[in-house]
Amino acid sequence: MDLREKLLRHRKDNRLIIAGLGALLLVFTAVFFYLQRGRDLPSALVANRVLLFVLWYANVVLILTVLFVLLRNLFKLVIERRHRILGSTFKLKLVATYVGLSLIPVLLLFAIATELLQGSIDRWFNTPMAPVLERGNAVAQALYDRIERDNRRDARRTLREIRGIDVGRAEERPRLTRRMQELLGEMELDLLAVYEGTDFVHAVLNPQSGLSDLPEPGRDFLGEAVATGTAARLLDAPEAPGRLVLAAVTSPSTAGGGAGDKRPPILVVAGSLLDPGLAESTDGLIRDAQSYRQLEVQKDDLRASHLLIFLMVTLLILLASSWVGLYLARRVTVPIQALAEGTRRISGGDLSHRVDVEADDDLGVLVESFNRMTQELESNKAQLERSNRELVEAQQLAAWNEAARRIAHEIRNPLTPIRLAAERMLRKKQQGDPGLGQAIEDGVDIIVREVVTLEGMVDEFSRYARMPRPRPDHVDLSRLVGDALNLYRNLKPGVEVEADVDPSAASAWLDGEQIRRALINLLDNAVEATEPPGRVTVAARRENGHLEIRVADTGRGLPPGSREKLFLPYYSTKGRGTGLGLAIVHRIVTEHQGTIRVEDNVPKGTVFTMELP
Amino acid sequence: MRTALTLLALLGILLFVSQARAEEARVSEIRISLDGDRVLAAFTLRDAFDRRLARRLESGLPTSILYRLELHRDRKRWYDDKLQKNTLEAIALYDAVARAYTINFRLDDKLIESRTVRDRQAAEEAMTQIGPLPVFSVAGLPRRPRLLIKVQAELGTRNLLSFIPIAIETDWKESPKFRPPGP
Repeated sequence: MDLREKLLRHRKDNRLIIAGLGALLLVFTAVFFYLQRGRDLPSALVANRVLLFVLWYANVVLILTVLFVLLRNLFKLVIERRHRILGSTFKLKLVATYVGLSLIPVLLLFAIATELLQGSIDRWFNTPMAPVLERGNAVAQALYDRIERDNRRDARRTLREIRGIDVGRAEERPRLTRRMQELLGEMELDLLAVYEGTDFVHAVLNPQSGLSDLPEPGRDFLGEAVATGTAARLLDAPEAPGRLVLAAVTSPSTAGGGAGDKRPPILVVAGSLLDPGLAESTDGLIRDAQSYRQLEVQKDDLRASHLLIFLMVTLLILLASSWVGLYLARRVTVPIQALAEGTRRISGGDLSHRVDVEADDDLGVLVESFNRMTQELESNKAQLERSNRELVEAQQLAAWNEAARRIAHEIRNPLTPIRLAAERMLRKKQQGDPGLGQAIEDGVDIIVREVVTLEGMVDEFSRYARMPRPRPDHVDLSRLVGDALNLYRNLKPGVEVEADVDPSAASAWLDGEQIRRALINLLDNAVEATEPPGRVTVAARRENGHLEIRVADTGRGLPPGSREKLFLPYYSTKGRGTGLGLAIVHRIVTEHQGTIRVEDNVPKGTVFTMELP
Repeated sequence: MRTALTLLALLGILLFVSQARAEEARVSEIRISLDGDRVLAAFTLRDAFDRRLARRLESGLPTSILYRLELHRDRKRWYDDKLQKNTLEAIALYDAVARAYTINFRLDDKLIESRTVRDRQAAEEAMTQIGPLPVFSVAGLPRRPRLLIKVQAELGTRNLLSFIPIAIETDWKESPKFRPPGP
């Protein structure tokens, strides 16, 4: 994947991160909204099992998401570090800092909040609230029990009092009514009713109570009384404020209905209407105690739901911080990586490369400067190459002109003696000169010699054209220089030749034969240019990892303006020879990936310096 | 990496093993009877009301026991073939003012019975002594397979480590095997 694709993917990642942060914001809002609403909801709903399961699974999903995001990015960072990708260490540090900075306080907060919550719940349930509520409940229940008991007693008395009255007979109804009215007043009841089995017979109401009609006690109430001998109920009184406490009893002798008694048992219902204020208070006491019991039962669920909400918020914060850390790290490291990649490409010669990354901060300025610099480099290089090309073309043209002139000159030199010899032989023949034979011998001798000279020239040109590529090997440079110098020792009286090979350069990796030939060409020129008394020195040493070989003489030096053409083929300052010596030296050095330069020697003479890798 | 894998495995366990065996409660005495194509089941849930469930019932919170019923075709030397499944939920609600327990029974999420009793003992019995109820129909079953009914009860939840909710369930109990009447 090249950098451009990485950058495109990075842009997509940015969009993903922004979408993720938006989603997180929504989740936060939803949680906040839910918590606000939860305050108004009954606890039974807040802490029910569905909510607990939903919260737990939401937490599990969040835990997995956080782990996935962290592990995935950790894995990527480790891979990047292994591949030594620029910026990976910085990214790792930035992410670790962000996650660490948020993790520590968030976990501390979670621990403290959890502890506080647990303590608060425990303290709340440890207050004397429970006994107070339970006592209140017991008082309220005792009141109802007492009224029920009294009503049951009054119902039994009524049953006894009406035993002599046949309640089924219409003639007995006035007597029954009168007796029931008397008993209602005596026992201060609000309702007294008589049933045969579950069938209504008669009822009297206290006109002061506000009851306008007999409330329907319910078939199950009557059925329970018939079946078990007694029953009690609390009813909301119709058309009257307060609560109606009913108690029913059946005649013991007829309870359940004996096999021989075909008539259903007599059932008496006695009712008292509880004052509305008192009824409300007692109901409130009972309901409050019940609510407290419900809270107590739900204590664990409440604790669990709050813990899960805390955990969820903690995880959301962790997720957000790690995501933000990664996002910021990428914003910094991606331009840096792009710049590093750009630098690598530029140093590799690809000046057309541009860093394409969106950054609108200081890094953006850096990227823009980098791109401007590479653009200028590219245009300068193009201009330089154009100039070089023109220069090389001009030099080649000049070289060819010079070569043509030299070749013409060199060929003309042997041609003149050949022509003169031929003319002389012809003249002798025409004159009938007796020295014709000798003239022919001399003429042929001259012609053959000059032809040999021409052949030698042709051979040298061919060798230059067919020079093989260097084959490097380990070479004892001291010995190679010594052998070359031996050829020139005592060649010219008064001209000393000497070697100065540094031990660091004693051994070298190069084509020994070619370097020897280059040395001989340079020495040949140096010795010839040096008049006695003079000195020619060959020095070799290592300099900055390069092998440097210098050939210095104390000769006449180079004529002005000759240096530029010195290494061109067929150029010579000597006025004779092929002009290939220094061209061959230059070619050998260039084939060895080295350079050669020529300078003036101090105080006089010339120095040729070969730098070989 | 190994730590992360261990953590993931732990999470997986917590995620998927979110149910616990009820320590003592058990379904017993499944009795099967047939009424035409209908299969009637009666069973008893023993030792269901521990302190937790009894306190919940007394508090007036809706207290539910969910029975899962499955009709299987018995297969020798192989797993039984599940043919049908159903749920029966007994939900009790205590009114402390009226001093009455109302118990609603929902079969396959449809209310089939509502009962009011006056004391806790009766409420517990009503919630745990079930049936006989027509829970399955064998109409349309090919030939006369040998059948059985499996029952499991779920008695609410408890919290592992104070915050991981887990359902409390009994073991599955199998009824005696039976064959529906032929056509």
